[in-house]
Amino acid sequence: MQHMKRAAGVVLLATLALAGCSATGGGDGTAADADACKPSTGKVDLEFTSWIPGIEDAVALWNSENPDIQVKVQTGPNGNSGTYQNFFNQLKAGNAPDLGQIEYDALPNFRVQDGLEDIGVCSEVAEAKDSFVPWTWGQVTLGTDKSVYGVPQDSGPMALFYRSDLFEANNIPVPTTWAEYKDAAKKVRAAGGYITNFSQSDINQFAGFVWQADGQWFQNNGDEWTVDLTSDASKQVADYWQELIDEDLVSTVPAWTDEWNNAYNSGNVWSWNSAVWGANSIASGAPDTAGKWSVAPAPQWNAGEEKAGNWGGSSVAVFKGTDHLYEASKFALWLNTSDESLTLLNKSANIYPATTEGLSLPSLQEGVEFYGGQKIYDVFADAATQVNPDFVWGPTMTQTYADVSDGFKAAVTGDGTLFDALTDGQKSTIDAMKAQSIPVKG
Amino acid sequence: MTTTSTVAAVPRRRRVVQHKRAIAFFILPFGVLFTLFYLIPIGYAIYQSMLVVERDGTFGEAQEVFGWFQQYVLVFQNGPFWRSVGRVLLFGIVQVPVMLGLALLFALLLDSPLVRGKKFFRLAFFVPYAVPGVIAAIMWGFLFSPNLSPFTAVTKNIDFLGADLVLWSIANVVTWVFVGYNMLIIYSSLLAIPTEIYEAARLDGAGQARIAWSIKIPLVRPAIVLTAIFSIIGTLQLLAEPQVFRSFSSAVTNTFTPNMTVYATASVPNASLAAAFSVVLALATFILSFTFLKFTQRKEAE
Repeated sequence: MQHMKRAAGVVLLATLALAGCSATGGGDGTAADADACKPSTGKVDLEFTSWIPGIEDAVALWNSENPDIQVKVQTGPNGNSGTYQNFFNQLKAGNAPDLGQIEYDALPNFRVQDGLEDIGVCSEVAEAKDSFVPWTWGQVTLGTDKSVYGVPQDSGPMALFYRSDLFEANNIPVPTTWAEYKDAAKKVRAAGGYITNFSQSDINQFAGFVWQADGQWFQNNGDEWTVDLTSDASKQVADYWQELIDEDLVSTVPAWTDEWNNAYNSGNVWSWNSAVWGANSIASGAPDTAGKWSVAPAPQWNAGEEKAGNWGGSSVAVFKGTDHLYEASKFALWLNTSDESLTLLNKSANIYPATTEGLSLPSLQEGVEFYGGQKIYDVFADAATQVNPDFVWGPTMTQTYADVSDGFKAAVTGDGTLFDALTDGQKSTIDAMKAQSIPVKG
Repeated sequence: MTTTSTVAAVPRRRRVVQHKRAIAFFILPFGVLFTLFYLIPIGYAIYQSMLVVERDGTFGEAQEVFGWFQQYVLVFQNGPFWRSVGRVLLFGIVQVPVMLGLALLFALLLDSPLVRGKKFFRLAFFVPYAVPGVIAAIMWGFLFSPNLSPFTAVTKNIDFLGADLVLWSIANVVTWVFVGYNMLIIYSSLLAIPTEIYEAARLDGAGQARIAWSIKIPLVRPAIVLTAIFSIIGTLQLLAEPQVFRSFSSAVTNTFTPNMTVYATASVPNASLAAAFSVVLALATFILSFTFLKFTQRKEAE
């Protein structure tokens, strides 16, 4: 008996010790994770802020199917036009919604402000990794192995929207390289139009051009950030557009204004290097040109290459302070992976899903009337696979965009060049990061 | 508040106490709102402006710690902010005298016995002020727009929204909105002048122009000083008009005016630096208005 008691004691001690070990060693492991992402009891109400047109329909569908998890959706202006500012204010005031629409380029900004819940602790989210186009998953993990800061919703592979009727009528071949694009620009100008409008405010579009040219604007090695707005690739892109501006081959009206819509609607501007969601912008901004547009792969820097940039694309993130991490991430997953939801979002907002399965949705195989019945999504499906997966966004993009945009605006009015704007933006970005004690090189 | 027993002994004093309560009662709503929406936000802004952020690593959690005047050092090193201050000062030096000159002229015309249809003109001059500033800016934005304006023949040739002219286009909008408002203040002060003075002046042989110059203008000086101070404050706080013009013009940067700089900084988001900008701007506004007031008062005394 004595022996047995002692043996039992030893076993007990050993078990305790082991348990102790696993408790300390695995503090961040599965046991804690399950706690962090636990279903709530009873009915749950979630708040969700977005700006995607028609998102209410998808949310209504969810609400009808999930009586215990009711989502209240609120829509506002798109991110950089005010919604991000609201999010930051709400986070500071401690009353952010449970979920919010955040573009990939703004995720690091929210992460740095400690505004995002890591939904990677929810097993369903971690398991969903393989459903997504790999580079979009890279955009929401922000360079970590296990953490996930949003569920990818859509991506914005870029291609060339062009007025096929005008190009044909004037015998201008569809450009396949940027050099050909410039040649075409001269012919278009001779015919009285502009080949495109250079947007001084869409710095993310410009970033898409740099992305296509294999450039990088930011690096994060875990210890410090590197800002590189002035790399060779950036210079190449900046110099190219500077030439077009200097030679009056592109118009420069402020983008996303009535004047801009008018320029496209009246046939003054003939093409737009834009992302897949731009299909919607043209259709709503230039309704008189229905049926006259087509989509071609983006012009390349070197003939024969197949590279695409990306402009936009967003995720649905869960904000710090939510009481319902499990339900919120469950909704975010459904919204961005289910066929019903993705079909609705594609219909209402030309959302281009970030899931691999979503790319084969029936609605993405159909011809689009506004584009003369062309199956435009085939072009973007190819482009989606040609996007460099490693593009990194900085932690103060709102500021970087605003400052570079100011410089671009000056450049189009003849004060300095686009590259000057990038050089100034490089400096002001580093300053803005230092002002917030974000470790940065330089 | 006070001990009622001692007060009750002297009837006269009790009445004073009753007054005090009444005064407190009537002041309370103001006091509560003033504290809630004025003193506390200002106090919070000053407190926020003293905070600095500390963090470890590229995504390290931010800690706000008390840093005294570190943000103010950044304010004084910030080129765009001071350029925006310079811009609105230039704006004010030109726009405020033009606007007040027009307001005074209109007020004098309305007050002159020679003008017919006073009621119509008084309303006509004042109507723009009833248009919200943002709507006014949108309307003028379209009027100035090179392709969408009804006057494209002019706007295609003169770039009202270009870097050289946009500040003055904005000045035009502000003037259009506020001339009527300032005119009304000056006009009401003109109406308060006793008519005997005019009678005396006429007996002395003064014409209308002479009366306006030697009697009316000196007597409405306080009203002009008041409108000038309002205008100086309004100029430094210029926000809505240039913000709206950003969607019409490439020349309006996100740091075009001091308030826009504050707004842009807040959206980084860098709340502490934005708060420091605001405090400096408020102090500058106060100093400028106060200096102007002292300056005009001293001239009056001479």
